[in-house]
Amino acid sequence: MDENVIKIENLAKYFDGRCVLDGINLKVPQGCIYGLLGRNGAGKTTIIRILLGLEPATRGQTFLLDTESASLSPKVRGRIGCVAEGHNLIQNYKVSRLIKLCKDLSLQWNDEFFRLLIDTFNLPTDRRVRELSMGMRAQLNLALAMAIDPELLILDDPTLGLDTVARRQFLKLAIGLIQQKDRTILFCSHILSDVERIADRVGILAAGKLVVDCPLEELKERVKKLRVIFPESAPQNLYLTEMINQETQGREMVITVANWNRQKQAILETFKPSSCTEVPMSLEDIFIECTRPDSNSTES
Amino acid sequence: MQIRIDNASGRPVYQQIMDQIKRDIALGRLIKNEKLPTVRQLSGQLAINPNTIAKAYRQLEQEGIIVTKAGAGAFVANLDSNLSRAVRKRLISEELERIAVEAFHMQIDARTLLEWFNNAVDKFNLPSKKGQSNG
Amino acid sequence: MLALIKREIRDHIVYFIAAAICSAIFIAMGLETVHEYNPRNPPVFPIGIGISLAAIVTAGICAMGATQMYFDKTRRVSALLSTRPVSRSMILLARIIAGLLAILTLLAPIAVATTILLRLFTPPIPMYSGLVWEIFTATFLLAFACYCIGLQTGWNTNALTPTLGALGLTCIFVPLILIKGPGLQIVVILQLFITASLVRTWNKFLSTPL
Repeated sequence: MDENVIKIENLAKYFDGRCVLDGINLKVPQGCIYGLLGRNGAGKTTIIRILLGLEPATRGQTFLLDTESASLSPKVRGRIGCVAEGHNLIQNYKVSRLIKLCKDLSLQWNDEFFRLLIDTFNLPTDRRVRELSMGMRAQLNLALAMAIDPELLILDDPTLGLDTVARRQFLKLAIGLIQQKDRTILFCSHILSDVERIADRVGILAAGKLVVDCPLEELKERVKKLRVIFPESAPQNLYLTEMINQETQGREMVITVANWNRQKQAILETFKPSSCTEVPMSLEDIFIECTRPDSNSTES
Repeated sequence: MQIRIDNASGRPVYQQIMDQIKRDIALGRLIKNEKLPTVRQLSGQLAINPNTIAKAYRQLEQEGIIVTKAGAGAFVANLDSNLSRAVRKRLISEELERIAVEAFHMQIDARTLLEWFNNAVDKFNLPSKKGQSNG
Repeated sequence: MLALIKREIRDHIVYFIAAAICSAIFIAMGLETVHEYNPRNPPVFPIGIGISLAAIVTAGICAMGATQMYFDKTRRVSALLSTRPVSRSMILLARIIAGLLAILTLLAPIAVATTILLRLFTPPIPMYSGLVWEIFTATFLLAFACYCIGLQTGWNTNALTPTLGALGLTCIFVPLILIKGPGLQIVVILQLFITASLVRTWNKFLSTPL
């Protein structure tokens, strides 16, 4: 089997003539936890829906476990666990009936593990689904997805509505899963601290493109924010390749650059700054910089 | 072992783990030849990706701060080992240079810097010479 | 697959119960007619009720098809089922099987009862031996055709439009059956209609984004 569990090739998606995804290329290898980040409406959910075959792509192809998304057979689906946006559950069923339905339809079911999850999450099984809080529905979805012992877990905002304790429980579950052999996780989240804890690679989606796609640990080393002070007013014509952002105020200029190296350092020094200090960037800072409307891309 | 991840920091998570392990060793919370938790254990305990922890351990081993024994796990290195001295020199020199640059930018003179440095040395009970210990 | 069918039946049990009740009413009326039969006093009244009831039943069958699809959309049933290891074809097939079972619940007892009655009593009009079977087949196909209309439109609109469509269909076909007799031509036409309708529903269901 190809070692890439998820493959997205030149994916483009238009909704009513509006371009939502513009040429996305992405490969997720087996054993990886991939965190897909992006602002609301950036297209993360669209990518996941196309991956799962719920939505057709306008152009390009996507593959899950070496199968094209449009023709996922039940057998392959049985190896994929997913938590979709909006927590698709049949609202007026009782929780116990929903569980039984999912159990009867699945190819493999780890009942012991499922019971453990239900107990950990404290989910009541005798209520109707619509009577559960949003967080509980999220947890139920997660339990249903993990009970099938999936090789690939695709999660769209799995911690939406979860309290702090529940979020930590989710992270530990994800770690527990990935420590088993040959498992892969793709998840979207807005909680960057969670992504920073568990992701191997991150991708940032902005303006329909994947502006960042690299291992997480490299991201902070690659994207640098520098506070440069000039003896007189800051030059207007300072240009560096792969500059994500540039702000000037009087003598001070703050630039955010990707893939900082000696050459860029040399170019900067030709403008004779009086001081140049690095401003530490958290993942949140990097994310905000990269998702500005006019920023450039930094691919791995 | 208590490790806290600072999400506002500019340092990658694996470096933060390394920093805190080094700090624990320097403060005596981890002693020579003490066994560190396995990657699996630490990863599960902290809810951090095992690869990140593995990378931290690998780097620490490269720097000679820990040693891994096949089948037994990771242990705090015997800090008197000659093999890692060159590595330690390189690392400390790099850190010192970084501090010197910062001091320059902040316009701190050498004398003040040395005074503050001595304060830090005293705080961590560094022996004046190798082989002695401060009372 | 069985789980899917059971789910459909349980969700729309109301139709099965209604089918059983209507079936019972038809049989009771039939028994009543046979019991009270008087050649000088043709049973206009029961036949009148019978036709009205048939119209209601037709609308009901249509509504069942429409409701199944409509509820799927509003309750996002297929959206959930798509995340499990089932294909959309299986979901639709289970739905159609449930519909067929409902129709059979309605018609099979009537057919059985009619056959028994015919054995016990001589009918007022001359009947040849295969007539009951032919009437049953034509009625079954007609009901299935109404169901298919319901399936087709239930995905988009509410239950009203397909119900009217089904009534229209009944108005066309019942006179046709009465005039031409429930023979091969009717059966073929109905089968063609059903096939076309199902193919269209199939395509639509399989390509809709969920």
